[in-house]
Amino acid sequence: MNILKRNERSYKQILAYAILILCFVASVIFVNHNHSFYQKPVAEVMEATLVETTLINDIDSLFTQQLIAKLKNGPEKGQLIHIKNEYSTSGAYDQAYQPGNELFVSIDPSKEENGELSGTILDVKRDKYMLIVAWVFIFTLLIVGKKQGLFSIISLAVNAALLSYALDVYVNHFGVSLLVICSISAVLFTVISLVLINGLNEKTYAAIVATLLGTFLSLFIAYIALWATSENGLRYEEMQFLTRPYQEVFMAGLFLGSLGGVMDIAITMSSSIFGLYEKNHKISLKALQQSGLEIGKDIMGTMTNILFFVYISGSIPMIILYLNNGVPLSYTLPMNLSLELARALAGGIGIVLAIPISLYASIFFVTRKKAKS
Amino acid sequence: MSVQLLLGIILFLLMALVGGKKGVRSFFTLFLNFGVLFFTIILMSIPNVNPILLTIIACIVVSCINLFYINGVNRITKTAFFSSMITIVILLLFIVFITEKAMIQGFGEEEIEEIGAFSLFIGVDFVKVATAVIIMSTIGSITDIAISIASPMRELFQHNPSIDRKELFTFGLEIGRDVLGTDTNTLFFAFFGSYLGLLIWFKDLSYSFGEIVNSKVFGAEMITILCAGIGVALIIPITAWITAYFLVRVEGK
Repeated sequence: MNILKRNERSYKQILAYAILILCFVASVIFVNHNHSFYQKPVAEVMEATLVETTLINDIDSLFTQQLIAKLKNGPEKGQLIHIKNEYSTSGAYDQAYQPGNELFVSIDPSKEENGELSGTILDVKRDKYMLIVAWVFIFTLLIVGKKQGLFSIISLAVNAALLSYALDVYVNHFGVSLLVICSISAVLFTVISLVLINGLNEKTYAAIVATLLGTFLSLFIAYIALWATSENGLRYEEMQFLTRPYQEVFMAGLFLGSLGGVMDIAITMSSSIFGLYEKNHKISLKALQQSGLEIGKDIMGTMTNILFFVYISGSIPMIILYLNNGVPLSYTLPMNLSLELARALAGGIGIVLAIPISLYASIFFVTRKKAKS
Repeated sequence: MSVQLLLGIILFLLMALVGGKKGVRSFFTLFLNFGVLFFTIILMSIPNVNPILLTIIACIVVSCINLFYINGVNRITKTAFFSSMITIVILLLFIVFITEKAMIQGFGEEEIEEIGAFSLFIGVDFVKVATAVIIMSTIGSITDIAISIASPMRELFQHNPSIDRKELFTFGLEIGRDVLGTDTNTLFFAFFGSYLGLLIWFKDLSYSFGEIVNSKVFGAEMITILCAGIGVALIIPITAWITAYFLVRVEGK
């Protein structure tokens, strides 16, 4: 019986792996032959010759490349196209191309005398590399994490889809507040992620309650702090990609950003407190409270650290650009870090608040369980 | 008073209140790490200094602070440190490869208007800077996982000194799997939060799926998220194996 079950399980596993590998192969083949799906002309570089080199300010060089590329889609498919490319050593907004690179180009309407096409580069075709990274991510998580890895992938995919849908609603319905949409999504995010990570049980309920309380409380504190200081020190000018009121986007980002950290604390706390209770049903509430607090102290520092590194690292390229263009440090730092720092601090507040909240939420659920049994 | 100062004070008070002495120490660590990051960025902006080398040094310092300053120098923090470094080197190689191939360094066309007044030819290799950004954003979670796997492994070993290496390794892996879900979650939401503006931008300007996938800004952020996830998963078997190896070798014989 047992052997039969094991066989069945391994058979299912083999089937799952086979499907996975099939998906992998199919998607790689597709992404390498999807040129006809693009409206913009795609061209593959066949030949690249360096024609000119100029030195700039002794620290950087500008190169000019003459490229010959073959068009892969559209009515001119198969024809060669001549393109000029300029790039620098630093490559902040440009790069050298080698044979094999695929580019989006625009074809000049006027043909050259010898009948050859010429054009300009619009962008690089990045889809196949994105796919490779995505697959490396999926395989690493599955191999290392097995079931838990699979659930993290599912939770990422579901949450991303949900976020995309929520933003669709926001963009298409004029007058809906982004914060309201994010609050509703946050409830869904929390329930989906925590149930996927931990299953449906009291542990999860305690974590969900604690996460929601913690996140909303930290948002509230951030609001009060913004109001009390009349937003002194926040440089909204630095916000990129803005099509909407900046304040709303900032607050919603702050809210979503701290959600993950708070969830992490809540689930860690409730798992360990329930774990202690499962091991010893006679454990006193006071002992639970004490051990829970010790665990909280241990994880508090590392969690706030994680948020700091994530938020601040993203500004590195911009700060480097500012500093090298002679902008003084006293202007560069507030300009590039003020929002990130505020976000990280508010996230940190959420994380620390989540410790006592999830401690008491878990104890509440433990007491309820005790009363039932 | 600025918002950051007020939020900083609130954070400090809360950490001291909830965490006591340990909380104060954690707050101080945050400060130290911020200092290291800040110093690294300043050094990185000097032309012809290798940003990757700087990142590795910064990672060593940050790991020392997070592991040795908080938990003290002992066999467990040493193995956690060692595992973090190995993971970072492996991750580094992969990121350099993919950044160069996907050409996601520097700034995208959506950003270029805003920085139009600046000279982009500053002699700093932006491929390496892009790599540094990804590594620096994951270093916090990598050291976190390393220590949260290594210390329960030592606990188990102390309770059962006769345990063999393989069992200990499996135990470490299992703990790692439990933190994997929550830690990737933390990273995802932190990134979602900081890219919210960009996502709304894509929606508002009705970018097509193909345009989003191939755009430089989206590519850079997606690769950062996925590589952070890869790093968080990779550290688990590495720490479990190294800790099992050292514990059983040193005390087993």
